[in-house]
Amino acid sequence: MEAVVALERDAQLMLRVREGDDTSFALLLERHRGPVVHFLYRMVQNQAVSEELAQEVFLRVYRSRKTYEPTAKFTTWLFRIATHVALNSIRDRKKEKGHESLDEDALDGVERQVADRQPTVEQEMVHEVRLREVRQAIEALPAKQRAAVLMHKYEGLDYTQIAGVLSCSESAIKSLLFRAYESLRDRLSHMA
Amino acid sequence: MICLSKNEQGAELLANYLAKTLDAPRTAELARHIQECSDCRGLASVWERLDEFAVPEVSPGFDARLYARIAREEARLSLRTTWKSWRRWLWPPVAPLAAAAAVAALVLFLQVPGTPDAAKQANPTQSSKAEIEQVAQAVDDLDLLTPIDK
Ligand SMILES: [Zn+2]
Repeated sequence: MEAVVALERDAQLMLRVREGDDTSFALLLERHRGPVVHFLYRMVQNQAVSEELAQEVFLRVYRSRKTYEPTAKFTTWLFRIATHVALNSIRDRKKEKGHESLDEDALDGVERQVADRQPTVEQEMVHEVRLREVRQAIEALPAKQRAAVLMHKYEGLDYTQIAGVLSCSESAIKSLLFRAYESLRDRLSHMA
Repeated sequence: MICLSKNEQGAELLANYLAKTLDAPRTAELARHIQECSDCRGLASVWERLDEFAVPEVSPGFDARLYARIAREEARLSLRTTWKSWRRWLWPPVAPLAAAAAVAALVLFLQVPGTPDAAKQANPTQSSKAEIEQVAQAVDDLDLLTPIDK
């Protein structure tokens, strides 16, 4: 029931943006800024890049306001744009740098936040090692699996929505997600 | 069979189990199974490990930067619209003149940096056919010769 209300609210807001109401755009931004930035952060693992990409996403939302039609759930539409932007960026960065693992600048904000909490040195080290493992395990997933896991695990999208975002059938998403969780388990199980 | 590893709905089932949204009998069944099955224990622990992937706060300047980009884009679009409306205004009486002026300006522009020889050719009557075509092409590109009511 709640989901239906949420669908109507976002779609209605977007329809008002289409009519020229910028306050509604501000409300949509307020509601979705966090999820979009965080999704992109976990996709590219770099704060500056993720915010730059999120700007691109919201700019595209604003740009397409005049032609917006609420055919899919707003979140599905929004994450389709975000995933598209992320996959393009990952592809371009791979082309630029060659296939390589996490670059140093990627390990930024979160580790600083960890340090701010002032745990003991050992706690901090254990936490950092575990965090790094999770980040590397996520990064090692093929980009499409990565996007699916991040939407499923952190953004609460269901199979139908993820299928809509990635333009796949629901059953394809089920097996894609399952393969992804299994590879994460295989990478992380030694330090559960 | 409730084993997550052998269930197409495994990921969803696990998510619901950990979010405590399954009904009581299924929750109990899955809990028992996870005790016995190391595959499923592994999956459950992965789900929990992923919670450790925290994210930084969105920078405070995010909205301001976005609105500045939107404003820049809007300004560019409105400039384009203004140009189109001017063209519309100018069209019936003045556009041929404007087009002629643009042709003359382009011919001058193309010839000016040249040698005295080129300067001599600045008179359009002496220009080669190719040059006239080139200029016409450039004016076409400027969209000056397109009828508005098309
Ligand atoms: Zn099992």
